[in-house]
Amino acid sequence: MATQKNSPLRQHHFLLRRLHSLSGIVPIGVFLILHLTTNATILWGVLNSRAGSDMLARRVGTFQEEVSFINGLPALLLIELTLWISLGFHSILGVYYAFSGRPNVREYPYPDNWRYTLQRVSGYVGILFIFYHVATLRWGWSFLVPGGTQWSHNFAASTLAAAMQGSEQGYTVAGIAVSLFYFVGVSLLVYHFANGLWTAAITWGLTISEQAQKRWGFVCAGLGAGMMLLAWASIIGFATLDYDAAAEIEGAMHSETNIPAAAQSHADNTNP
Amino acid sequence: MAHASTIKNFKNTPKPDRTVQFRIKRCDGPGQPSRYESFNVPIESGSNVISCLQYIAANPITVTGQKTTPVVWDAGCLEEICGACTMVINGKVRQSCSCLIDEYAPHEGDVITLEPMSKFPVVRDLWVDRQRLFESLEKVSAWVPIDGSYDLGPGPQETPQQSEMRYTLSTCMSCGCCLEACPQYQKEDDASSWDTSFIGAAPLSQARLFNEHGTGRQLKGARLDALMGPGGINDCGNAQNCVKVCPKEIPLTESIAAVGRAVTIHSFTRFFTGK
Repeated sequence: MATQKNSPLRQHHFLLRRLHSLSGIVPIGVFLILHLTTNATILWGVLNSRAGSDMLARRVGTFQEEVSFINGLPALLLIELTLWISLGFHSILGVYYAFSGRPNVREYPYPDNWRYTLQRVSGYVGILFIFYHVATLRWGWSFLVPGGTQWSHNFAASTLAAAMQGSEQGYTVAGIAVSLFYFVGVSLLVYHFANGLWTAAITWGLTISEQAQKRWGFVCAGLGAGMMLLAWASIIGFATLDYDAAAEIEGAMHSETNIPAAAQSHADNTNP
Repeated sequence: MAHASTIKNFKNTPKPDRTVQFRIKRCDGPGQPSRYESFNVPIESGSNVISCLQYIAANPITVTGQKTTPVVWDAGCLEEICGACTMVINGKVRQSCSCLIDEYAPHEGDVITLEPMSKFPVVRDLWVDRQRLFESLEKVSAWVPIDGSYDLGPGPQETPQQSEMRYTLSTCMSCGCCLEACPQYQKEDDASSWDTSFIGAAPLSQARLFNEHGTGRQLKGARLDALMGPGGINDCGNAQNCVKVCPKEIPLTESIAAVGRAVTIHSFTRFFTGK
């Protein structure tokens, strides 16, 4: 690659390469697992019997509680900054490294070679997706959202559903595109993490023998499959959510005059 | 792997006395433009690509009847030991001496495409210059240091397991298949950039071979230092094509991971001890 003889990229080549590998697992990969688990409460929240008897209230209520919990974390901005810096570092170096390769799956169509190529493609698409995701929902660039919905952390589920569906009244054509982009983007990122975790074990020299690489492959594939289920559960949950019904549940949770369904059932359980 | 497919393909009895067409990528010299020329070659039982190239050299007439220059290729042992005749056959890299026509073109009029390796500069036609590969072996000190002014004494003891593992690695013939198939290994015309461009699987595996040798490990630190920099072990993208195209079935991906572990330990040791 055409870098200057004394460029920092060359002088700290080893350190940067290994930090690139590490940053994909900690903090980015760990965050991804937590993030998908939280988001998936929009579906598996139905199992949360403490959040009332209404199925929709359980889903929306559990997700809203998770969001409120995260918003109450101390030094949240520091956590966010760490993630943004890590993502920027991993993305910029990743693209630079990826450009040094020339995929040749046409000549050598081995599954591993496809895996290598998809790792790079998923990185490129993943960067675009994360940028769109963070810009629209965190930085409030609502001009990029069809229907212009502004995400609110007090109405976390309803505004997210509207942002993904294209309007507060349900699906629009642009909304279908956004939802599909979420499906493709999140799926590729889960793949990118699972495969990256597999190759990181080779990079650091944890798995040397072919058998060890195969065994670790099953672990990574299992983790990836689990994360994929969480990701798809989240997307199905928000893609099928009714804005008005969800907003009503959230409004009740934040209103001091109305006792939220979740709190009421909680009170019922603790004071027999 | 190669053996299994050979046996399978031989179940289809090849048609005797057939003519096979060779489509060959030709180039008159370094920096010259390349072109394709096709030749019809009558096939005898047991023909390989080299024997067909010999026929073309004796009869340099294309399918359109035009007389042309004989096709140039490189070859040595003719038993898949030296690696000199490596070329790209029907899009995949392999040795041409061990490429049997009965397997590749069992029918009348079948076409076999021959191209020089794309990652090395072409000398002429199918003959490439693999100098960069040999300089890469120098970069990783792929030898055992035995030169000295005093008697070094007998070599260290070695277990049979260790010996067996190193033997497999030692069968590398520097043919370049792993480099040709690697999406991270690129052709570099400028020799001054070879040192910082990805070194590829074969030299990495040779570094492991000599790091595992009782006397060879004296140079382990220097080898790992060389492989920690730009173009070294970290530029591997884990596409793992190398191990699949290796004609010697050397566990190249295991070697890459082993060198990865060695540089991990090397770097941590250096970080905490300063050595």
